[in-house]
Amino acid sequence: MIDLLSVLSIAMIITSLLVFGLRNYKISIYVYSLQTFLLVGIFLLLSSSHLAEQLTVWAGIAFVTKVIFIPYILLRLIKKLGVVYEDEPVAGFFVSPIIAMAFSLAIAMSIYPTYLEFSLIKESIPLIASITIFMMGIFGFILRNSAIKQILAYCMFENGIHLSLALMAYNSPEIAELGILTDAIFAVLIMSVLAQRFYKYFASLDVSKATELKG
Amino acid sequence: MDIQQLLTLLLIVPIVASIVIWLMPTNFKVLSTVHVIGSIVSTLIAMKAVLSVIDGKVLFAYDQMLFLDSLGGVFLSLIGITGLLVNLYSVKYMQWEIEKNEITLKDAKLFFALSHLFVFTMTFSVIANNIALMWVAIEATTLSSVFMVAVHKGKKSTESGWKYIVICSIGLAFALYATVLLYSAGFSVINDSHSIMLWTTLMAHAKEINPDVLKLIFVFALIGFGTKAGLAPTHTWLPDVHSEGPAPASAMLSGILLKCAILGLIRYYAVVGNSMVGFEYVQSIMIISGLVTIFIAALFLIRQHDVKRMFAYHSIAHMGVIAFGLGVGGFLGLFAALFHALAHSVTKALAFCVTGNMVKIYGTRDMTKMGGLIKIAPITAILFGIAICSLVGVPGFAIFVSEFLIVQESINTGIFLPVVLFIIGLIVIFIADFSHFNLATFGESKTKILTSKIEWSANLPLIGLAALIIIFGIFSVDGWVTLLNNAVKIITGV
Repeated sequence: MIDLLSVLSIAMIITSLLVFGLRNYKISIYVYSLQTFLLVGIFLLLSSSHLAEQLTVWAGIAFVTKVIFIPYILLRLIKKLGVVYEDEPVAGFFVSPIIAMAFSLAIAMSIYPTYLEFSLIKESIPLIASITIFMMGIFGFILRNSAIKQILAYCMFENGIHLSLALMAYNSPEIAELGILTDAIFAVLIMSVLAQRFYKYFASLDVSKATELKG
Repeated sequence: MDIQQLLTLLLIVPIVASIVIWLMPTNFKVLSTVHVIGSIVSTLIAMKAVLSVIDGKVLFAYDQMLFLDSLGGVFLSLIGITGLLVNLYSVKYMQWEIEKNEITLKDAKLFFALSHLFVFTMTFSVIANNIALMWVAIEATTLSSVFMVAVHKGKKSTESGWKYIVICSIGLAFALYATVLLYSAGFSVINDSHSIMLWTTLMAHAKEINPDVLKLIFVFALIGFGTKAGLAPTHTWLPDVHSEGPAPASAMLSGILLKCAILGLIRYYAVVGNSMVGFEYVQSIMIISGLVTIFIAALFLIRQHDVKRMFAYHSIAHMGVIAFGLGVGGFLGLFAALFHALAHSVTKALAFCVTGNMVKIYGTRDMTKMGGLIKIAPITAILFGIAICSLVGVPGFAIFVSEFLIVQESINTGIFLPVVLFIIGLIVIFIADFSHFNLATFGESKTKILTSKIEWSANLPLIGLAALIIIFGIFSVDGWVTLLNNAVKIITGV
């Protein structure tokens, strides 16, 4: 059981690198969907191994909202805009994912012992994975200029938090988890609308081209 | 009306107003009437709730998930008072925007509907006892206000909307981690998943929670809620967002929303301060945060000629003042920080709404192209003057009171170097502001005047805000002082 949990967690880290690094939007979105599917798998595994029944419900909700709905919204967005590939990001395609992964892992390794001490489910590798994925999302915002990649970065750090929440606070009142997820879905929807507007006015998805507001 | 009904109505009324406006036919008169009625009813309920907690009573509802204490009461009064006056002003402002073809009637409808949804999310953040729900509500304030900010179509509006949602969401993600960590750390002490998520329980058991993790939690909370509150260095979204939105949206964001984020931070400040970590830790962090914020804002403020952007940097500076007040601590420092929340709320709401009048008159936000405002629209000029006088801390205006108290408490507690830096920051802002004020108000206009007519229906809510600035600057309002005293006692755990 434990091994499978570690495998799924490491697979989530790898998918975060792919979501971050791949140039092709469509494939990035599919990989994000796969990452969330792995998250659902972890929820189900933990629900049986740690008798955390709540996580079965979390798995169901995450499957519908994040494996299906959010990727659908994003796929529809890229189809509507007719975009296929991301423009060259800050620090280039090759370097930026490596920088992001190195820093994310370093941060995760340095703070996970604190998380582990208070975690309801004391599993090191999933905790490291949760912080790493969160940080990959944060670096996604910093190092990628594409609006769609930034939405995916948001989705990714939300996955990281979701995993932390499951490990550290699965027994918290359901209303909290539902509230957090609802915010996330609305955030993606709003960002998608803004990305469309952005493309319309700037003829690009590169947010670094938005320099009207300075000073 | 029992407590549960009262707290429920606080949330239900703005939601209903929002839905009703959304479902209404697109007729400006009908929409604005419902908008005004909804705002008045929301404010009456908010004020009734605030009156019940002035004496320190705490109201609970829904298994204690919702609550209202004096501390929440301070911030709920901002939502009630500032929210109403800005919403009243927004009717005329939206009419001007439609007449200028800047927005459509449909956009105005969206704006009115969202403004009530926004009030709902802010109210929710203030009365949530459950720390996760408080986070959900604060994140929802961003989501509900994005299209209030980006209601105009165009490059600038889109850019500001994007920056707003992206930077605030990243920042708040750290606050969510603070929430999760606080829950887990608390759960290891109190084995009750429902109760330990309540702020009141966390306060009661703060001393038992591991101090090391509480230090990390406070740093995360500061990054998270500090981003949303416009504290440096994660303030970068604020000047763009507050300057690009319509004047009433900027007034609501600056006058109320920033304070709701500060309340989130204050809740964490109180838990960590009352724990074994102690207040010294949180105060030293807040002093640094406050000073850095004030200086960065002052630096950018000097060279601003865009009147809205100038006020946006003021928002950052004054959030720095609140942070500094929290850093100074002590009864007076905390009292001043909370007083500053109200003083800045009414002042900044007035300031941003006045920019709405100025843009109508000159057709530009650039103060170097303005001039002669005192002759063209004397009431607007006087209101502008009152806002500026209060913002720079002239005696007799509300903001002076809190800034004076902060300086007094700093000297009492012997924090001399920080307070000298604090005063230098305020002097820079003072000089910058009065030179800008002269530019716009006196001399001759450097551009063609579009109109000099500002209707009374637009000016009356602003006169109300100006009156509050002067009343709070000159008089000691008993009920308000009692409310603040009780709020400070909650923070200090006395």
